[in-house]
Amino acid sequence: MRVKGNIVQRATRDRTAIKDPRVQIPNEFESPNNQIRNKPVGHGKLELVSPVIWRLEIGAFAAQYEAKEMSEKLILESLKEEPNFSKVGRSVQRIDGLGKVTGKAAYASDLQRPGMLHGKYLRSSHAHARVLRIDSSRALSLNGVRTVLTAKDVPGRNRYGLALLDQPVLAEDRVRYVGDPVALVAAEEEEIAEEALGLIDVEYEELPAVFSPADALGEGAPQVHEGGNLVLHFKIRKGDVEKGFEEADVVVENTYKTHRVYHAYLETEAGLGEFDREGNLSLWSGTQYPIRTRRQVAQALGISENRVRVVQAALGGAFGGKDDLTVEIGIALLALKTGNPVKMVWSRRESMEAHTKRVPMTIHYKSGAKKDGRLTAIEVVIHGDLGPYASIGHFVVKKAVTLCTGPYFVPHVKADGYAVYTNNPRSGAMRGFGAVQAAVAYESQIDILAEKLSISPLEIRKINALDVGSSTGTGQILQHSVGIKATLERLSEYVDERGMRV
Amino acid sequence: MMKHPIRLKVNGSFHDLSVEPRDTLLKALREGLGMIGTKKGCDVGDCGACTVLLDGKPVNACLVLAVEVEGKEITTIEGVAQDGRLHPLQEAFLEYGAVQCGFCTPGMILSAKALFDENPDPSKDEIKRSIAGNLCRCTGYVKIIEAIQAAAACIDSSRPHQKKTRGLR
Repeated sequence: MRVKGNIVQRATRDRTAIKDPRVQIPNEFESPNNQIRNKPVGHGKLELVSPVIWRLEIGAFAAQYEAKEMSEKLILESLKEEPNFSKVGRSVQRIDGLGKVTGKAAYASDLQRPGMLHGKYLRSSHAHARVLRIDSSRALSLNGVRTVLTAKDVPGRNRYGLALLDQPVLAEDRVRYVGDPVALVAAEEEEIAEEALGLIDVEYEELPAVFSPADALGEGAPQVHEGGNLVLHFKIRKGDVEKGFEEADVVVENTYKTHRVYHAYLETEAGLGEFDREGNLSLWSGTQYPIRTRRQVAQALGISENRVRVVQAALGGAFGGKDDLTVEIGIALLALKTGNPVKMVWSRRESMEAHTKRVPMTIHYKSGAKKDGRLTAIEVVIHGDLGPYASIGHFVVKKAVTLCTGPYFVPHVKADGYAVYTNNPRSGAMRGFGAVQAAVAYESQIDILAEKLSISPLEIRKINALDVGSSTGTGQILQHSVGIKATLERLSEYVDERGMRV
Repeated sequence: MMKHPIRLKVNGSFHDLSVEPRDTLLKALREGLGMIGTKKGCDVGDCGACTVLLDGKPVNACLVLAVEVEGKEITTIEGVAQDGRLHPLQEAFLEYGAVQCGFCTPGMILSAKALFDENPDPSKDEIKRSIAGNLCRCTGYVKIIEAIQAAAACIDSSRPHQKKTRGLR
C-alpha cells in the first residue's frame, strides 16, 4: 500500500491547517461549538499507524474530528484505487467459530478446576423486609458444605453498582426485592449447595413495599433507600411547547406502558473464581465488561485491583444482561474463604427471577401536528421502574428521553424522565437501552396522527423525517449520514412495486 | 444417593462411570465425562441446547436419565467431525455466519445431522421443522437455515462425510 507521502509531510509540518486539495471539507460545516473550526490544533503527535489509516492524537476535539473526516475520505479514495485487501471488504469466518462448531469452546459454565466447589446464593422471598437474624448452623452441619457467608463476611466494601454504589453484596439489614441475595453457600456438589440453602434459617420482618414508580414518588411512600426513591430526573427543553401546541391543528395524547423483558440468553449467568498461592484471583466469567468487573470485585474483597484477573470466557449470549455483575463477587468471596476454586452457574429460574431486565416504562406522550402532517410540538413524561438497585437503569431512562422524538423533526419539545426505585424485580441494560421503549410511544403516536389527518403512515413519516441539517430533540444539528429519508423512499418504492397498501 | 456403575457408548467409544439414578444424560456427559460440548440451557427440555443423538434420533439430554441409555449409541457434537475433518454442517455454519454466541450451535448441528441421516435432500420446511426444538437468541435463525441448506446441497448421501462438490458455495 502506497504511503500518502504528501499528506503525512504536510501534516507534520503544519498542524494548524490540515489541508488536502483532493479532499473537500464543506465550508458550511456547522459544529456544535462554532469556535472549534478556527481553534489552533495544539500539541500532539502524528502517528502513522498504517499507510491508509492514520491517527492524530491531539487535545482539541476539532482536529481529531477533521482528521477522522479526512482519513475516512482518504480510505474511500484509496479503495477506489487498490481494492485488494485481504480482510477489509471480505467475508471472514469468526476467529472463535471453530471451537464453537466442534464443541471445544469453553464457556464459563463449562469450566472445571481441580478441587472445585459449587456456589449458590440464598435469596430473599420478600419484596421488602428487615433481616432480623440469619442462622446457618444447620446448613453448615450438612455433609459437603464448606462455608456459609453473610454480610459480615464481606472483607471489603459491601456495596457495589455500575454507576451508583447502592447494592449490597449480601443483605445487611434489609432486603429490597424478591431475589435479593442474603447468604452464600459453597459445597462439594451442586445438589448439596441447593439442599443447604433450605437449611439456612432467616428471620424477616416484612415492611411495606412499593411496586410502581408512581407509588414510589407519592407522599409517604416507603423508602427503598435512605436517599429517597427518585434516582434521576432528566429533562430536555427545546423551543416553546405552549406555542407549538397552539400552532397545532390536532393534538393526540396517550399513555404507553412497556413491560419487563428477559434477555433469555441461552447460557445463564456463570463463572469460576480461583485464588493462587500468592493471593491473586483469577476469575473466568460470562461478563460483558471484564475491566469493570475487576474493579468491583477488588473493592468488594478489599484487595488491590492488580491482584484480580478477569478473563472473559466464551459468552453464551448477553444482550445487556451480563453488563452488570452477576456471579463474580459471590464466587470471589467463596474462593477467598474456602481457598478452593468456586464455580457458580445460575439456574434458568434464578436467572429469570434475580437479574436485571429491560426497564419497564410508563410513557405519557402528547403530540401536536398541523393539518399537513408536520409535527409542531411534543410533551413527554417517562417513568422508569428500576427495581431497588439502579444498575445503569437510570441511563436507560435518560436515553429514552433523549430519543423520545424518534427519527422525526420536532421544533418544540418538552420531555421529562424519572428513574425510580421500587421493590419490583431489577431492571437494567437490555439491547436498545431506552430507545426501544421510546419507539413504542412515538411510532404509535405518529400512526394515530396519520389516521386522524387522513395521511398514510408512510407519508407522514416522510414529511417529518430528520435530514442533514435538522436539529434533533436535544438541539443537535445533524451533520452527515441521516438515512431515514432514503430508507423511507426506498420503502415507498418497495411498497409501490408490490402494489401494497400502506 | 447410591451411585451405580454404567457403561455408555459415546461417539463410538465406551466409557465407564458412576451415576446416581437421578442423574440426567446431560449431567453424565458434562460432569461425568467432561464432554462440555453439549450445553445446559434450561435443564427442563425447552431450549434444545442439550440435544444429542440417541441411536440417531435427536433427544434433549436433560430429559434422559443416564441409567436408561446403556447399550445405546450416543452422538454428541464432539463426534460430528470425523478423522480430523469437519462435517459439511460444521463448515457451513462457519461459512454462512450461522454461529454467533455459539451456545445453540451444537444442538442445531446435531438436529440437522439427524435430519440428513434420514432425509438427505430436505426441503426448507423440513429443515425448519427439524430445528424447531432448538432455540437461538442471537441469529434469528435465517443464517442457520441457509447453512443447513448449503450443507445439504453438499452432502453425498452414500458418503455423508464427503462433500459432493469441492466448494461449499
